[in-house]
Formats: sequence, C-alpha cells, structure tokens
Amino acid sequence: MTAVSQSPLARAPRGTAPRTGRPRGRTLVWIAEHAALVALGVLTIAPIVFVILTSLMSSNQALTASILPRPFDFSNYARVFTELPLAQWFGNSSMYAVLATAFMLVSSVPAAYALAQIKFKGANLIFTVIIVAMLLPPQVTAVPVYVMWSQLHLTGTLWPVILPNLLGDAFSIFLLRQFFMTIPKEYGDAARMDGCSEWGVLWRVVVPMARPGIASAAIFMFFHSWNDYYGPLLYASENQAAWPVAYGLATFRGQHGTDWSMTMAMTVVVMVPVVVIFFFAQKAFVEGIALTGVKG
Amino acid sequence: MTDVTTPETGSLEARPTRASRPPASAGSRSTAPGTQPRRRRSAESRRRMVALTMLAPALAGLVIFFAYPLVASIFYSFTRYNQLQEPEFVGLLNYRFLFTQDPQIWPAVVNTLWFVVILVPVRIVCGLLVAGLLSRAKTATGFWRTLFYLPALVPPVASVVAFVFLFNPGTGPVNQILRVFGIDGPLWFNDPAWSKPSLVIMGVWVMGDIMIIFLASLLDVPRDLYEAASLDGANGVQQVRHITLPTIAPVIGFAAVTGVIAALQYFTEAAVASGVASGKATIGGGTAAQLGYPGTSLLTYTELLYQHGFANFQFGYASAMAVVLFVVTAVVLVFTMRRISVFRPEES
Amino acid sequence: MHPSARRSTTRILTATAVAAVGALVIAGCSSGSSADTIDKTAPKDLKGTVSLWHFFTGREARVVKSAVAGFEKANPGVTVDIHAGQDDEKLQKAISSGQNIDVGLSYSTAIVGSFCSSGAFRDLSPYIKRDKVDLSDIPKAVQSYTQYKGTRCTLPALADVSALMVNKPLLAKAGITTPPKTLDELKADALKLTTYNADGSIKQLGFNPLIDFYENSPEHWAPMVDGSWLDSKGNSVIGTSDAWKKLITWQKGFVDEIGYDKLKAFTSGLGQEFSADNAFQTGQVAMQIDGEYRTAFIKDQKPDLDYGTAPTPVMDGLGNYGSTYIAGNVAGIAKGSKHPELAWALLKYLSTNTDAQVTMGNGLKNIPTLTSALQSPKLEVDENYKTFVDVAGNADTMTSPGTADGAAYIGTFTKFWQAYQEKGGDLDAKLKKLDSDIDNANQLAGP
Repeated sequence: MTAVSQSPLARAPRGTAPRTGRPRGRTLVWIAEHAALVALGVLTIAPIVFVILTSLMSSNQALTASILPRPFDFSNYARVFTELPLAQWFGNSSMYAVLATAFMLVSSVPAAYALAQIKFKGANLIFTVIIVAMLLPPQVTAVPVYVMWSQLHLTGTLWPVILPNLLGDAFSIFLLRQFFMTIPKEYGDAARMDGCSEWGVLWRVVVPMARPGIASAAIFMFFHSWNDYYGPLLYASENQAAWPVAYGLATFRGQHGTDWSMTMAMTVVVMVPVVVIFFFAQKAFVEGIALTGVKG
Repeated sequence: MTDVTTPETGSLEARPTRASRPPASAGSRSTAPGTQPRRRRSAESRRRMVALTMLAPALAGLVIFFAYPLVASIFYSFTRYNQLQEPEFVGLLNYRFLFTQDPQIWPAVVNTLWFVVILVPVRIVCGLLVAGLLSRAKTATGFWRTLFYLPALVPPVASVVAFVFLFNPGTGPVNQILRVFGIDGPLWFNDPAWSKPSLVIMGVWVMGDIMIIFLASLLDVPRDLYEAASLDGANGVQQVRHITLPTIAPVIGFAAVTGVIAALQYFTEAAVASGVASGKATIGGGTAAQLGYPGTSLLTYTELLYQHGFANFQFGYASAMAVVLFVVTAVVLVFTMRRISVFRPEES
Repeated sequence: MHPSARRSTTRILTATAVAAVGALVIAGCSSGSSADTIDKTAPKDLKGTVSLWHFFTGREARVVKSAVAGFEKANPGVTVDIHAGQDDEKLQKAISSGQNIDVGLSYSTAIVGSFCSSGAFRDLSPYIKRDKVDLSDIPKAVQSYTQYKGTRCTLPALADVSALMVNKPLLAKAGITTPPKTLDELKADALKLTTYNADGSIKQLGFNPLIDFYENSPEHWAPMVDGSWLDSKGNSVIGTSDAWKKLITWQKGFVDEIGYDKLKAFTSGLGQEFSADNAFQTGQVAMQIDGEYRTAFIKDQKPDLDYGTAPTPVMDGLGNYGSTYIAGNVAGIAKGSKHPELAWALLKYLSTNTDAQVTMGNGLKNIPTLTSALQSPKLEVDENYKTFVDVAGNADTMTSPGTADGAAYIGTFTKFWQAYQEKGGDLDAKLKKLDSDIDNANQLAGP
C-alpha cells in the first residue's frame, strides 16, 4: 500500500485524458475546450455576480430592469445587521457549527479508528449499520426523536441538532474510517510492540498522521451545520433568538414582503464565511471529497 | 483468563516473543484453526473491548437516534397522536389514509420520483462533462476547479433565494436576457410546469460537489492505458467507452446511489423555493402553508410528512409515512449497497 | 456467523429493545397534566411574569405592546414577556413541547377546533363562572367561533371582516358611479376597468378573480352566496351545495374571459400583499376584496390613496348584501402554563376590557369583538372604516365551523379551487371528491 495517499487531484499529471490526432486538430480542440470552459465559467459565476450587484442597489431599484446599481448603495449591508438580529443569528450558527464539529471529533475519531485499524469481530456489522444510518433519510426517525427532545424540554433551541454529535455522526465516521484505512497498519503495530495501548496508538501515531483527513471531516461537519435548514426548522423555528443564519435567510424575508436588495445582501453575508473558510482549507476540503467516492 | 507476560518488557499484550521478528499485523500468524493459543484469544477479546469502548458513544448514538426511533415510528404509525394527549391505537387507519385517501400523497410521490429520475442523472451527466473538460485542461486547473466548485459551497438556502430572485418572471435578469433574444420566458418558479425544472437548473449549478469526485477519479485513470489503446488504434470515443467509463464506474455508482437517496428526501430546496416564490407573508400561516407552491408541483414526500407531522401535529400519520419511506429506502439500499465498493466493509 | 459476532449482534439488539421499551413507556406518559382545578377565588394581588405569544410583527406588534402596557399599568406587579411573530404552527410546537408559553394569541379561528379538542388551550369555563364574566357583550357569531363542541377554550381578541375596496379615481374615469353590488355588476365593472398593453398582456386589472390572490379565499367569498361548510355531524356539504357550485362556475367564467395565463403572469409581477407595493395601493388593481386592516396599511404606506369601501357584492338571490365573513384572533391559556391566574387576567383584559379593545382596534384597525367597543365614541371610525363596522354587526354575517383538524378542510377546498380555476374539468365529480377528501381527513384527525 502506498504511503498516506495524496489526492489524485494533487499528484496526477495534468491532461491525462486521451489525445486525438494531428497538431492542428489539437489546437482546434484546445480552443473549443477552453471556449466551453470560459462559457461555463461565466454561467457559473454570473448568479453570484448578480446577487452581489443587487445587494448594492436600493430597494426600489432591485425590482427594476437595471443590472448595474445606480448609485452603489452599501447601506443594505448595514441595514441587514441593524434591522434584523443577523449578528445574533451568526452567533447561533457559529455556536452550532463549532460545537457540533467539536463533539463530532471527540466521538467519531476513536470510533472510526476502531473500525479502521483494530481487527475485531463485529467490526463489519457495525460498519454496515453505520452506513445504513448514514444513508437513511432523517425524516424516517423525525417524529420519535422530536417527541424525545420535547420531553427533555430542549425544543425551541438548537441543542437537539448539536448534542447528538456527542454520540457520533455516521457520515463523519464513514469519512474518517476511509482515511484511517489509508494509514498502513505497520505504524500502529510498531507502536503496539513498544507497549502502546490502542488509545496510545490512536493519539500518538494515527491522529498526527491523519490530520488532513480529520481536517476534512471537521470541515464537512462545519459546513453541514452551517447550511442546515431542516434541523432548525424542526427544532428552533418558534424561537427567533435561536435561529441560525440559514433559517433566518429563508424565513425572515417572508414575513412582510421581500426587500430584495436587503435579501441579497443577507445572502452575500451568509455566503462569505463559507467561501473564506474554503479558501483557507481548500486542500483538506478537496482531499476529503475525493475520499468519499474515489478510493474503495 | 490469565495473561502471559514475557520476560523482556513485562507488557501484558500478546506479541512475537522474539524481538527480531519483523513487525506484522496482529493475527497474521497462521495457526491451525481452533487451536489459537489462550494468549491470543485474550488479546483478541481485549482488543475487542478497547474497540467497543472507542465505539461506545457511536453505538449508543445508533441505538438512541437510529434503532429506537425506527421501532418507535412503527409503533406510532398505528396510533393517533398529537403530543398533547396519549397515543390512541387506531390500527391501520393511517395506512388506509396513506394508500387510498390522502389527496396529496400521489402528487408528493410523483414529485419525489420526478426528482429521482430527472435531477440525479442530469447532475451526474453534467458533472461528468465538466469534470471531463477539466481533466483535459492543462493551465490554471486549480482556478477552474475552484470556480466550478464554488456554487456547491453556497448554503442551499442562499442558492434557492438567489435563484428565485434571478428567475423572477417579471423583473429577474434571466427573463430580461431572454427578452433581448425575443423569447418570452416562462414563469419559472411560479409555474407548476416549470418549478421543478427550475430547481434542476439550480441543481446543475451546484453540481460542483459531484464534479470534484468525478475529476479526482478521471485523473486517477492510468495514463498508460490510454497510450496503449492509442497505439492499438482506438480513437477518443472508443477510449472513453472502454477505458474511462469502466474505470470510473464505481464513482458513478456512488454518486448515483447517494444522489437517489438524497432525492428521496428532497426537502430544503423545494420548501424554500415555494416560500420565497409565493411571496406570501407567513403571518399566521406558518411554513407549511406554502409547501408545494406553485400548486402542488414542489410538494415532495418529506415535505408532506413534515406538513402532516409538524404543521397538523398528526404524529401517527407522519410516522406511517416515515415507515413507508424507510421501506423504500431500505429496498434501494439492499439492492445497491453491495455494488458500491466504498460501502462494503470488507474493503481494506 | 462467528459466535462473538453473534454475541455483539445480540447485545446490540437487546440494547435496542430495552431502549425502545423504555422510551415508549416514557412517550406514553405524555406531557399531560390532569384536570385543571382552579383556585376558589381570584387572587387579589397579581405578581409575576406572564408570557404572551402572538403572531403580529412590526407596526402591528407595537400596537399589541401598547395595549399590553395598559394591562401592566393596571397590575403593577406583573410583567408581560411578549413573543411576537409566532404563527399557529409555532404556537402548537411551543405548547406541546412544554415551552414557556402562558397566553397564546392566534391569527385565525381555525385552531379553535383543534386546540379545544386536544386540550392545547385550557377550558375557560371554570374561570368564566368563578369570576362571573358576562359574555353577552360579545357578538353571537363571534361567540360561536370561539368555542368547539361546547368547550370554550378561547376568547376573542378582535376580529377581521372583509369588504370591497375600490379605487375612486379609476372608477370615475371609467364612468362607474357606485361600487358594484352584485357579482354581475362586479364582473362588468372589472372588465371595463381592465386595460391591456400593446403585446396583449394586462396593464391594469379591474378585479383579480384568481382565488389565491391576496385575500381572495373561499372564506372571504362565502358571503357572496351564503355558502355553508359542514353539517351538524361535521361532514362536508360544500360539494353538494348549489351555492358554491354557482360561485365556482361564475369565477371560472370570469377567469377564462380574461385568460388564466395572462392573469397568472400579471399576478406574479405584482407587489407583495403587505408591502408598500401592494397592487391595490399602487393602482394596478382597481377593486379588491380585503380586510379592514388594509385601511391601517394604506394610512401607513399610501395615505394619499383615494379609495372607497362597500360591502362584498353578492350573487343575485343567494347572498345577503351587507353581510360578511367574520373570523378573528382568538386567545387562550396554554395547557402547561405555569401561571394560569396571570394568564387568565391578561386574557380577560384583552378580550373583555373595552378600552383595551378600542386601543387595539384603533391601532390595528381590526374590528373589536365587544359591542361596547364597537359603539364606543373613542373608536376611530372614518367613512371607509364604517363599512367594516357595519358589516361586522350585520345579522347575517357568517363564519366557518371548527374541526379537530383545524381549518384543514378550507385548505383542501382552496387547493381544489386553485386546480379547477386552472384546468377546469367535471365540476360535479370534482366537488364530490372534495367532500370525500374532507370527510376522510376529518376522520383521520379524530373527533
């Protein structure tokens, strides 16, 4: 087995797809391909550009045919924070995402390690059950779980979506296990020979080597929590003080009529943290995604 | 069981008795079946204990949030329960309503299947095409990859809100641009015939998450295969058919299965699109009042479940719907899990 | 399977079974508390915090706040903790999960049936009897929709009625001197007032006949034909009634004459109902059926609009001109309320105190549900608002009955009508199906 695998995206030489024919044909193909890329790129970025442009318009102008704001009005961004409790919603989203990620790591890293690196009877069964749990629609278990949380008097808050991560998150365990399996057993065995317990192997040998994978899982969990709409809808909709930004964005604009330019400003504000984090954590991110589907 | 300690280090764990033996995975020594030394069995069971301890929170989570609710859902599905009074046993009433009487069940099922059959393949094909393009690009690949992935990063709620605005039939940029070309654009999110296709367009916009795994997989196909095929006279199309596709088939399978499962539970995008497009103030009415707008075209199965369960507080009926959804998902899983290598535990 | 694998499977299954049984036992003990016994006499001094959940937002929420301030002034030891923007869905979520909610003020009459039968709102009769509250000041129709099958679990806190609103300059320009009184006149006037662009699309609409536009709804249109909903057993009579059939046929004819697609395209470009670009306020729609609160929105958002009001037009021979559909805000004491006496005091204040009703009536421009408040000189009644006050007091004014499933049947009816106005079809067969759908759903929800 190779050393800790790099994502194929990082190590493959560029342009490994099949080549066709003569040099002139190749240039034409190159032009066609890049033209297509540019066209698709424009189509991809266009919605985001429109959203940003609209957020800089005054509310009246947003509903008109003009594409460029005249004048550029930055006040929407201030209004979004003063007219709505957006800062509070940001705080809620952050708390949700940070805590969910932290809890997930605590519960899921050891679990994934056990499934990946410790050979014991029942491992396969447990893994299969986890896969099923991961793929099952949450609505299947929604009603009894809701009843449970409301009897604990925790509805109206975000705790019902945060706390379960203390007991493991199926997708994270799956992802982490994929990554742990790429770490050769020899390292662990050497440590065991030196008298390390399994916990020791986990903390001192595997985790340091698995930092990219753990970072990927953490980032996935963070984004999943940040983007979550269904969970807050179910559990926190009646308490505006507990809304996360995703829910606030979808719901608030419906209460009296849409102020589109302000709504677009809110949309931009909601998108920014995600994009920023992505840029800083790109490598870990892309590695993680590749892990989910590429390697067996 | 007593533990055997060796003179060298005094540790309790089983390991090769001679330090010169090269490190090997535990359990790789061959012994005749049924004659495992006691030391090995105790080490194994100790390993199991450690593993189970590490798995303990996850196992507890599986019981509390997976196994118990499944059983409880089945129980509730035979009752009438609104959480304010005790559950009242009603036999098959909920199932009878579900299969024969609910006027919204048929639109909900059809809509959900529509997304399964249309959204999933369209996203996969588009993801493949873009990944294919990207895999051939030699310059600025990181830039392109990031660019196409960006929409997938955007929170789904934000994407939907943005798209409903962009596709606003009267004042949105899309129809305005179409008007320039003399085309009278449809009502998009306000037209029952166009609301689902509009969501598919959005689904294509965010195909970056699928595209990336396809890209990684395409780049993983060994170059020599292509070169050998070229030498044998295979042209581009043949190479794709006989080399590329078979090699990346597992990834396509993975994307298909996860896509289908996601489509079966399609909720957020449809719910937010209906709410934003209907523009109705949610004063008094609540979220569920707009589910499905326009008409019932965006009403999915899980939305209907939410409406019955959490807007009308008919937990019994919602549980019946949940049980049916579970059965359908289970059938899909049973038939596909074996084929998707990533889901097979034996892979190591 | 290897023995220890089987052991672990068994272990997991056992754990599941134990957890399942245990949790089902817990679930069985729902959040219910047993019968509500109340104190023998009303407490002399009220102290503490009581939470009020209501659905209003923005300007309207401020009005409620000022009314509540009156209550706090009269009871210095009490603070009211207000949660605004809570719709019926959220009220039910809060009550059933035992959150801190004492008084719930709901937007619609719809929940009375479900909240009274499920016990989400407590039975108020012990309190009414003990404190000798006289309900005769509340109009009869209003009394009827605030109770369900003999259980009174809510008291009314202002109501809504609807009437016809017309844009005076536009009508004058078209030569129409008085607002239409019959449906035939309405359609004729509307067509006269409708103008088109060069490409055939609608420029200005006389009256929007689409049933899902703004306040066009089966409830608000019911007075046109004096339509009835359910019989005494709770079974749907909508499908078998001649009145509804005639109305739906009339409406479909109206829609088809202008064109469904044109109407749909025009409607999707209109401003949102409660925003400043409300289509009536901008003049894009010349006549509409709307609630009395619209006068407050106009005063706030477009005070220079020259408009008039008149009772809802009726179909010749079927409707009673001058009547309307009344439904309103209802308030009750939540099931698990920890401060029932404070809640009762606040509830009593909001629903039986004439001054409170006048304050809220003036601020929200909703119709007070006390006859004394309706007749109070302090109630601001201008010429336009007077129409609403008059129709509210009309003897033929109707409402819609509650069911244990709330107003789900009206939702079913509306969806049916939306589909019919677009696609048409065999109206008799569809009406029959509508009745059976409503009856099936009611059966699912229980008595």
